[in-house]
Amino acid sequence: MADIGTEVSASLDALTREFDIIAHNMANVSTAGFKRRCNSFTRALDAQSSTLDDQLEENAAAAFDFSQGGLVQTDRTLDFALYGKGFFVMESPEGPLYTRHGIFHTNQNGQIVDTEGRLVAGTSGPLIVPSSVDISQVQVGDDGQVRAAGASIGQFRIVEFPDNEDQLLPAGLNCFLAPEGVEPVDALDAMVKQGYKEASNVKLVDELVNMIMVSRLYEANMKLVSATREATSSVMSVAMG
Amino acid sequence: MMRAFSTSATGMTAQETLVNVIANNLANVNTTGFKRSQVEFQDLLYAKLSEPGTEVSPGINAPTGLEVGNGVRVAATLRVFSPGEFQATGRGLDMAIRGNGFLQVLMPDGDIRYTRNGALQINANGQLVTLSGYQLEPSISVPTDAASIEVAPDGGVNVTDSTGARSVVGTIQLARFVNPSGLTSEGDNLYAPTDASGDPVVGTAGEDGFGLIQAGFLEKSNVQMVNELVNLITAQRAYEINSRAIRAGDEMLRNTNNIFR
Repeated sequence: MADIGTEVSASLDALTREFDIIAHNMANVSTAGFKRRCNSFTRALDAQSSTLDDQLEENAAAAFDFSQGGLVQTDRTLDFALYGKGFFVMESPEGPLYTRHGIFHTNQNGQIVDTEGRLVAGTSGPLIVPSSVDISQVQVGDDGQVRAAGASIGQFRIVEFPDNEDQLLPAGLNCFLAPEGVEPVDALDAMVKQGYKEASNVKLVDELVNMIMVSRLYEANMKLVSATREATSSVMSVAMG
Repeated sequence: MMRAFSTSATGMTAQETLVNVIANNLANVNTTGFKRSQVEFQDLLYAKLSEPGTEVSPGINAPTGLEVGNGVRVAATLRVFSPGEFQATGRGLDMAIRGNGFLQVLMPDGDIRYTRNGALQINANGQLVTLSGYQLEPSISVPTDAASIEVAPDGGVNVTDSTGARSVVGTIQLARFVNPSGLTSEGDNLYAPTDASGDPVVGTAGEDGFGLIQAGFLEKSNVQMVNELVNLITAQRAYEINSRAIRAGDEMLRNTNNIFR
């Protein structure tokens, strides 16, 4: 009897966490460059070899789904979407951060920065728009070359993690952090699209289906608890007369 | 309690902000010189339930960790300074700036503000003023005997008096910013500089990056109805789906409570 209790509470725990992940994905359905967390169901489907229960007990290791999000036209000069595998690199005091959220600005010095004011890395130092050039004259090619009024001012540093993308850690605020030992390499096939942003890759239908599945499984676990309770009490009543 | 409730609540609040911004854009679809705003979202920090690389058994490290997100927040509203359509009005004192300059406006307290709304008027003292009655900076006075006023593409204000003699009474100067998105909006189509926008660079129309003044035209709002409506639908549905998650969570907890009934 006690076994059932622990089992049920473990799976309820996992289901609640699963539900939290789904809620987080849904909350970020409009966040540009957001990558959805895979949860154990989708992972279980990917890895047919293991059963759902195994997956749940494996602490439901939540990884990111780095699939491409849709491109949405914004017509803003400093909005960029990446098409293909790759990340923009942000310079932060704690080291480089990686993001697919290409909504950039210029700061008072003309440097290209993100919303948090962190510098966007170029292949050779920060990118600076000269003060004589207006923002609308900044043009960025597919290869990430930045031209201000025709003159090149640098190139966006676009990197990828070909083998260990799944080890990236979410740093929040749209950025990822590379743990020690995970080194980026220059991205080969990422294209920079100016005037676009990459929509979140959360698919509402999938999330809804997962959500329904989680609540039903939760319910089933609860049924198990009440069934166990009834069984116990009838055994008790027999035993006690 | 479930983290999902607060996560979904952040989603609902963020979508609500988006709807507010879209409503303001739509309300200003006919405002001269209005620039639309765009909302930018960020995912919130993650709660680390287990670190990746944790040793699960001797020599074996977990390949991934477990981080659960806390939802979303509105990071910024950006003003998009893309040009609006130009509309011919035929009025000599209406002007649109074909480029990225701003007209400079002197406020009563001596501060300078910046606007793209070029529907100018002449006040009782003959000075050129905005629709709200604020003077341009530098101030330009039109003589009382002026028969007609023309504004040249470089901002020169040419006046023809009753005898037919032409004279230049002043030049409208423009200002521009390294980072126009860093300006703060003060309402009345006016913007104020901040540390983020950088200091204004003042110059004459036609110089590098200032743009030309096109008299007889007004710049319409750069809000595009269709885009805003599409965004509105998305925001509404995203709001709905987040409230849906709260309902599902509620049902799960109700199930829990029902065990002991």
